[in-house]
Amino acid sequence: MFKNILIILSIFTSVTAAQIKVVTTTTVIYDLVKNIGGEKVEVDYLSRGDQDIHFLEILPSYMLKLRNADIFFEIGLQLEMWAPQIIDGSRNSDLRIVYLSDEIKPKEVPTTKVDASLGDVHPDGNPHYWLDPYNAKIMSREIYNELSLESPENDSYFKTNLDNYLVKLDVKIAEWESKMSQLKQKEIVFFHSAWTYFADRFGIKIAGYVEPKPGIPPTPSHNAYIIQLIKKKNIKLIVMDVFYSDNAPNQIASLTGTKVLKIPTQVYGEENIKSYIDLIDNIVNKITTNG
Amino acid sequence: MRILISLILILITSNFSNSQTTVNPDISAIGEFNMFTNFNRGTPEYGKLNFDIPNAELYVEGYLNPYARATLNVAFHEGEFHGEEIYANIVRGLPLDIQIKAGKYLLGFGKINTIHPHAWSFIYRPLFQQIYFGEEGFNDIGFDVSFFLPTGDVYTTLDLGIFKGDALSIQHGHTEEHQHESEEEHHYEVDRGNSPIFVGRVGSFFSLTDFSNLEFGLSGSYGVYNRLDFFTSIDSNAIPDNKSLKYFYGGIDLKYKYRPDSYNQLILQAEFLWNARNVLRKNDLDIDSEEEINTFGAFIYIDYRFNRIFSIGAKYDFTYGIVGDEPNYNTTANDDQNKTSGIESWFGYYPIEETLALRLGIQHLMFNYADGFDRDGETTINLQLIFSLGPHKAHPF
Repeated sequence: MFKNILIILSIFTSVTAAQIKVVTTTTVIYDLVKNIGGEKVEVDYLSRGDQDIHFLEILPSYMLKLRNADIFFEIGLQLEMWAPQIIDGSRNSDLRIVYLSDEIKPKEVPTTKVDASLGDVHPDGNPHYWLDPYNAKIMSREIYNELSLESPENDSYFKTNLDNYLVKLDVKIAEWESKMSQLKQKEIVFFHSAWTYFADRFGIKIAGYVEPKPGIPPTPSHNAYIIQLIKKKNIKLIVMDVFYSDNAPNQIASLTGTKVLKIPTQVYGEENIKSYIDLIDNIVNKITTNG
Repeated sequence: MRILISLILILITSNFSNSQTTVNPDISAIGEFNMFTNFNRGTPEYGKLNFDIPNAELYVEGYLNPYARATLNVAFHEGEFHGEEIYANIVRGLPLDIQIKAGKYLLGFGKINTIHPHAWSFIYRPLFQQIYFGEEGFNDIGFDVSFFLPTGDVYTTLDLGIFKGDALSIQHGHTEEHQHESEEEHHYEVDRGNSPIFVGRVGSFFSLTDFSNLEFGLSGSYGVYNRLDFFTSIDSNAIPDNKSLKYFYGGIDLKYKYRPDSYNQLILQAEFLWNARNVLRKNDLDIDSEEEINTFGAFIYIDYRFNRIFSIGAKYDFTYGIVGDEPNYNTTANDDQNKTSGIESWFGYYPIEETLALRLGIQHLMFNYADGFDRDGETTINLQLIFSLGPHKAHPF
């Protein structure tokens, strides 16, 4: 009996003692960390799946989450402009901050001077790279590297998890590419410039955006332009994220007969999306069903 | 001040010419322009469209190193430049995870005082702040230490600071009663000696649901606000006693925010200040005596942001003392007889994010004099334009 208790205690202490405390800015990174870190990692996230990651309110409760964390994973490319204030508020001088964009090849990097007249243009390039599943593989490898650095004794555990996850992703990528092949060169209007990486990966052509400039709310004159564009090119779909108001897209749809699809771009953006694979499954299924 | 402005201009021009690099600080500018009219008969502004000189704030802020930040905020207010805030803040790396802030800045007494007016939901400074802190808020030179308290899932900090006390000894005022008047400015200074003042606040943040949060704070400030000669004898040749007059401010602040999505937001916020201080009073024999007075002030407001770009709200204010009187500490904060109350409402339009704001506000002030003096209420309508240029950071919660 005594021996059994010792075994249970040793298992418990070995698990808790080895746990790396990780906080992520998004639920997509959260899911990737869970898959690679498994039980060796205690992970939490800041931005809910139904929130606009660009404009997260700076709450002391987020500082509390970061207070005892070992690693803080961010998307990077200046997407999380609010993060430094939360990091400062956490008073955690041992926190390691990792930008998962380091190994990503960014798209839409401005070649001219960037200012607010262009809208919310990110000077380091479009940060919505996680919607390309190949980039999720790069992110996963980066997460593995960081977890392994933090806890070298668990390197083989993380490596096995990474390999298993990459295999899973490869299988799903083949499935997604197969499904999306029917939409190659199909033109779609998107609400915000969050879909560049997804569209490029699956061969979709972005006909235009409902936002006149990134982050700038729709205007009547731009709506009129989009209506003409949709009519001229016989576009069938407007795709937008769940946290935007669908007033303008619905008005455009009512005048053109297009369909408006509100699709989450983060895990937990809808109740049934509980993983990154669920997320891309959902996007692919909705677009292929309605495209 | 000219040297300071020259240094800032050199910094800005070198910044533009070299383009932004990681070693350059963030530079931001906030501009504010007010047009107003009032319905107070006998004032020069009555029934006319009046234009205030635009106000501006220039921020230079950034990290000094991985552990510390610094902020320089130069304000152009009513035609004059002055250093509004100049401070450094060690944010991490110190024992017990304390943070230290030193320099000149808006003190953490209550919640609203640390936030610059351009970021308030409303237009007019709360009345009790005008009486007990002055027209620029509770702003002083010194340092404070911020402790993180281990209160589980509730984020709690304790801030304790020691300050020079300029906020209590020097006040800016105008010869005219009305705040918009740009007459020659006067300084009212009292002799406090070299006594520092102490300011502290404990604040707790509660995350109620995914969409609603609450912050609750208790503040205190203590010190000498004046030194005066007391004539305690009817003998006019007697040597007066030089006495220190002390004050204590106690404060309660509460902020609730409900934000179900990025398009809608409801804020309910209130603050209360209790003022206990010794004052000099003449008795029936015309001899000075020391009395303790207890007065208070408070405000509460509600602000509803809808469709992301519109806001509507209302605020109720009350304070002892007559707002608009010369801010001399013997006539306003020491006033335990007369009262001012006010109602303010506003409509705001924020076309694109927070970079541009148009606000239309109306405030009605009511005065209550203990001696029965009958003074008409004052109503002012203000149209305000605020712009924010650059990467100036949003205020937490």
